Amino acid sequence: MTVANAAALPAKRAGVGHWMSSYRAMLRWQLTDMRLLLPMTVLVQLLSGVGLVIGFGLLIPEMTQRLALYLSTGAVVVSLVIVGVIMGPQLIAQQKASGSYDFMWSLPVPRSSASAAWVTLNASIAIPGMLGALVAAILRYDVAFDVTLMVVPAVGLTLLTGTLLGYALAHGIPKPDITQLISQLLIFVIFGFSPVSYPIENLPGWLATVNEYLPFYPMANVVRDSLTDGIATNVGRSYLVLSIWAVLASVISAAVLRRRK
Amino acid sequence: MMMSDTQEAITAKADWSFRAEEVTKTYGDVVANDAISIEVHPGEVYGLLGPNGAGKTTFVKQVIGLLKPTSGSINLGPYDLVEDPDVARQLCSYLPQAQMPIESFKMHEAVHITGLIRGGSSNEVRARGDDLIEALDLTEWRDTLGHKLSGGVRRLVGYIMTTVWPGKVVILDEPTNDVDPRRRRLLWDQIRLLGSQGSAVFLVTHNVLEAEKAVDRLAIINEGRLIAQGTPSSLKAGDRGRLRLQLMLVPGNGIPELPPAVHHHARVGNNLMMVIDETDAAAGISWAQQMMTAGIAEEYALGAATLEDVYIRLTGHTSEDDA
Repeated sequence: MTVANAAALPAKRAGVGHWMSSYRAMLRWQLTDMRLLLPMTVLVQLLSGVGLVIGFGLLIPEMTQRLALYLSTGAVVVSLVIVGVIMGPQLIAQQKASGSYDFMWSLPVPRSSASAAWVTLNASIAIPGMLGALVAAILRYDVAFDVTLMVVPAVGLTLLTGTLLGYALAHGIPKPDITQLISQLLIFVIFGFSPVSYPIENLPGWLATVNEYLPFYPMANVVRDSLTDGIATNVGRSYLVLSIWAVLASVISAAVLRRRK
Repeated sequence: MMMSDTQEAITAKADWSFRAEEVTKTYGDVVANDAISIEVHPGEVYGLLGPNGAGKTTFVKQVIGLLKPTSGSINLGPYDLVEDPDVARQLCSYLPQAQMPIESFKMHEAVHITGLIRGGSSNEVRARGDDLIEALDLTEWRDTLGHKLSGGVRRLVGYIMTTVWPGKVVILDEPTNDVDPRRRRLLWDQIRLLGSQGSAVFLVTHNVLEAEKAVDRLAIINEGRLIAQGTPSSLKAGDRGRLRLQLMLVPGNGIPELPPAVHHHARVGNNLMMVIDETDAAAGISWAQQMMTAGIAEEYALGAATLEDVYIRLTGHTSEDDA
């Protein structure tokens, strides 16, 4: 009988190298896990981005350039957020229901590397929808976008915050059906009562003030600023509020994942 | 507590062991684990037996860091697994009772990617994965997607995913569920081999008869408490000089009035199991024959008492109650 390695326990793995190889392996796991659904999900995202842009046009026959810019940039933000807030929690709820959740969280990877892989996966699904909305707006309304490099931090922060909020909800709330209910409610808030697709001035004063501090208006404002010229105002403040939400969502996610019942 | 010679050799070579002390886990008034203490050595296959809801899974989830003990300590060599769940996940691998989420994975991909996640190098993981796929006779499904695999085959893939790059402690929660009898034997061989390669193996099961052959030592857990611990033979010592009398009842019959020689009994389906003294063997046989003549029983068998009988005596359950 050989007793290879029985005499010694290995040292704890840590550091950047361990984090990176864990991130790569987890991303590979998650992409393979989505393999059967991924093409269809990306297509649905793409179509819903395009559909939002074209659908608004049917509602408003006299489309002005300014209105078209609002609607199409709003559609971009909805595309970016909806994946993290709706689809993410649904997938995690499925894992909880099937019992495979325990296996995923018993794997020897840093929690943050698994979360980073999750954000990457969500981005790869959301970004085609965003591009679809942009292209549809150009073709349908002849909108002139003015894209600056700020699109990178704007889209990045929006994706990160949206995905991690959904992630924290999904992991933090034990009952998957309650998570689903809350994520539906969030979509209702985003579509109905957040100035994502229309100017914030259209809201009554108090609701406008509330939205200044919620994450969705700042998302729309920074993305709009990075894609257009001159219709976004108070952008610095939006970056600040959104960054606070991003940090908050990360901290909550980390706390929820580290918590043991 | 008895230990085999090989066991002693392994223990002497290694400078670590798994040690759980007074592990207690409560949920409000419910005590899921009540001061459980277990020590397991490298190379040892250690069985955790008990009826459903006894607290076996709760215990192993605390080892892997999915749950936190209310009190007590869990250590692996110098590492405190309760304080540092990251190191617990690195040093322990866990096959949960639920099926693995591998619908979209080809068998060899699921094995390979999990091996990488567990920290193995690509080539070594591939080689070892293919060896295990072959050893469990699964080669014909190597390239098949998970959602097309039968439950038993998926269970075995789960075993390979857990052990392709094994931790120092390997936790297997009901590994043989849904597995066909032939591959079950192959799996037991692999589990024994895993122990001989230096891992400490926790085997959670309610299949007492199979566990008896595979484990070095075992604990019987009932209602959250560890009620017996030792080698299979040391646990059976209490039943030395006793025999098992098994009666297959004609369907529709209740348990007949038992002769006084019966120490304890249990019924699973139409199968009535009783423990009697060796000296009462003749009386037992003649009673069983009377039952057959009376049309109450179809057949009977008399054999050595097994670990199952110990289990019934200690828990009041048969292992098949929970199957």
